[in-house]
Amino acid sequence: MVVTRDLAGKKPETAAIELVLARFLRIGSLIAAALLGIGILAMLLGQTEFAPKLITAGLLVLLCTPVMRVVVAGFIFVREKDWHFAFFSLVVLCALAAGVYFGSAG
Amino acid sequence: MAVTFIEIFLIGIGAGVVGSMLGLGGGIIIVPALTLLFGMSMRTAVAASTVSIIATSTGAAVAFLRDRLTNTRVAIWLEMGTATGALSGALIAGFINQRLLYIMFGLLLGYSTYNMFKARKSELPTGVVPDALSQKLRLHGSYYDKALGHRVDYQVTRTIPGLIIMYFSGAAAGLLGIGAGIFKVPAMDQVMRMPFKASTATSNFMIGVTAASGAVVYFARGDVKPLVAGPVVLGVLLGAVVGAKLMVRMKANRIRLCFIPLIAYTAIEMIYRGVKWW
Repeated sequence: MVVTRDLAGKKPETAAIELVLARFLRIGSLIAAALLGIGILAMLLGQTEFAPKLITAGLLVLLCTPVMRVVVAGFIFVREKDWHFAFFSLVVLCALAAGVYFGSAG
Repeated sequence: MAVTFIEIFLIGIGAGVVGSMLGLGGGIIIVPALTLLFGMSMRTAVAASTVSIIATSTGAAVAFLRDRLTNTRVAIWLEMGTATGALSGALIAGFINQRLLYIMFGLLLGYSTYNMFKARKSELPTGVVPDALSQKLRLHGSYYDKALGHRVDYQVTRTIPGLIIMYFSGAAAGLLGIGAGIFKVPAMDQVMRMPFKASTATSNFMIGVTAASGAVVYFARGDVKPLVAGPVVLGVLLGAVVGAKLMVRMKANRIRLCFIPLIAYTAIEMIYRGVKWW
């Protein structure tokens, strides 16, 4: 594959995390796009009860993708014993969780 | 209804292309379009725009990660700043003079515009000496530039100042609800001296995370209207995929030239918002 040639001279673990995250984000956006597309189509076909639920599901999948991306990156750093970056990922997750908590309360 | 769906969808595509190429959220297009052209409320428009920031980020990140334009280590380092900044911004929002903030951030963007204009001819940064922390955290990167036809190896400097700026950029997003990417790109490009394309790709990668916590709150309040957000977001996803493909083949100078009017406009708009009540 072309990808392997591109990686020459780069640390393998750095390469791995980018490919894993790319695959993860692609799956997330494809599921979201499929749900949104079907939902909008259903809406146009007059399924006004069911369609908004599908669209909302698509939006929620999309919403979870970046948060889960931080979790996935954190796991990769732990597996590589890259403790600095594993800790940084944890800080980001805690700040996000606190943001959601205070935002919803306020 | 079909016509409205298609119109909103097309606006989404446009915002996705522009946002993914420049590392911005695209709210600069979506919010005015939804409020002015479709007469929607500000709340609905901002909520739809926040969800579509995630779409821009996720849709474009796949291509950028594969091309190694995204620096994931820099991204996670700086996300600490944006996430904690957004949190503290949201917490102190009620106690702060917003006008003053608009003017301050507007002036800061004005200064960035000036710097970006000065650097408009330089394709890649030269003579960057990495600081100790950047070396310790291995923040350097390298990618194959499809426009230049060769590999670009780069170093990163001013690691701590970069983090501090990200904190304030996150706080601005939390306080004023604006500026997903507009502060991030200059911080990486001008302060941390990263190549412009790596800066926009890394900014694009980060904005999804910052937007996610805001989007959860809009969802909880019921501001996300599926029939508005659905078509916008689907369009943005598609546009972002296309925009990312275009961007990797563009020269940094071209992208910077597209960025300058947007950052100048945002600077003027913020200063205007700050002074108009006086």
